[in-house]
Amino acid sequence: MEILAKTTFAFYCLIICAGSVLAVTSGSLVRALVGLIAVMIAVAGMYLLLAAPFIAFMQVLIYVGGVSVLIFFAIMLSRASTEGDEAGPVSFRKTVNAFACLLVPAVILSLIIIQHPATALNVAPNVAPQLLGEAMLGAYLLPFELISVVLFAAMAGAVLVAWRKRGGK
Amino acid sequence: MTDLTLFQLVGVFLFCVGIFGLVRRKTLVGMFIALELMINGAGLSIVAAAQLTQGDAVTGQLAALFVMGLAAAEATLMLAIILVVVKRFKHSKADGISQLRG
Repeated sequence: MEILAKTTFAFYCLIICAGSVLAVTSGSLVRALVGLIAVMIAVAGMYLLLAAPFIAFMQVLIYVGGVSVLIFFAIMLSRASTEGDEAGPVSFRKTVNAFACLLVPAVILSLIIIQHPATALNVAPNVAPQLLGEAMLGAYLLPFELISVVLFAAMAGAVLVAWRKRGGK
Repeated sequence: MTDLTLFQLVGVFLFCVGIFGLVRRKTLVGMFIALELMINGAGLSIVAAAQLTQGDAVTGQLAALFVMGLAAAEATLMLAIILVVVKRFKHSKADGISQLRG
């Protein structure tokens, strides 16, 4: 079983690497979105490997089902075609800047993670969804309610912003 | 190298690729896709730390759920902002948006 887990982990790693590189370098935004969806599904697989099936389910439901559809709407409504804004060559200076921005957190975080490893468990505990629900309605009731207020404010604000511009034109 | 380290390195990889895309992309939608990569990396790191250390697993998983909720709220707002920007400027290039007027 150990071998199987390692193989699955390597498989998900492969999908994450390929998908994320596609998501940030592809000239077509729709292809970039496909790469992002592959990454999201692979991260859900990682959650399953971590014995957190509820989080994996929520990842598929919220990200793959909700956020990616929103991004697709954004692509569609901004009329980003394959010959559009993102297709042209990126200037060399911008790529160098991007690599510099990538290197700083990569080096710092990787060094910290590798040199000061936390004492890790070998087997992840399996948390029942009932416990999550009890914690959400018990100790974490205020954040739970606040996040619904935040969601409502975001949705209402989005409708308001998009609608007023249309009326004002 | 422990399992926790491996999972966290994957999280760092996602975060860094997200930063790379955020700086390199030209349009708002492309930057948004890179931003989602970064959030996914952070979520993976949180859940790995919750499940594979002595810390409370319930709290960690709830934190990941809250991150997902905030990401959903942020996605709707980004959609509205991109909509308004495209309507006003006829494109969504980040460099060309320099006018801020009500």
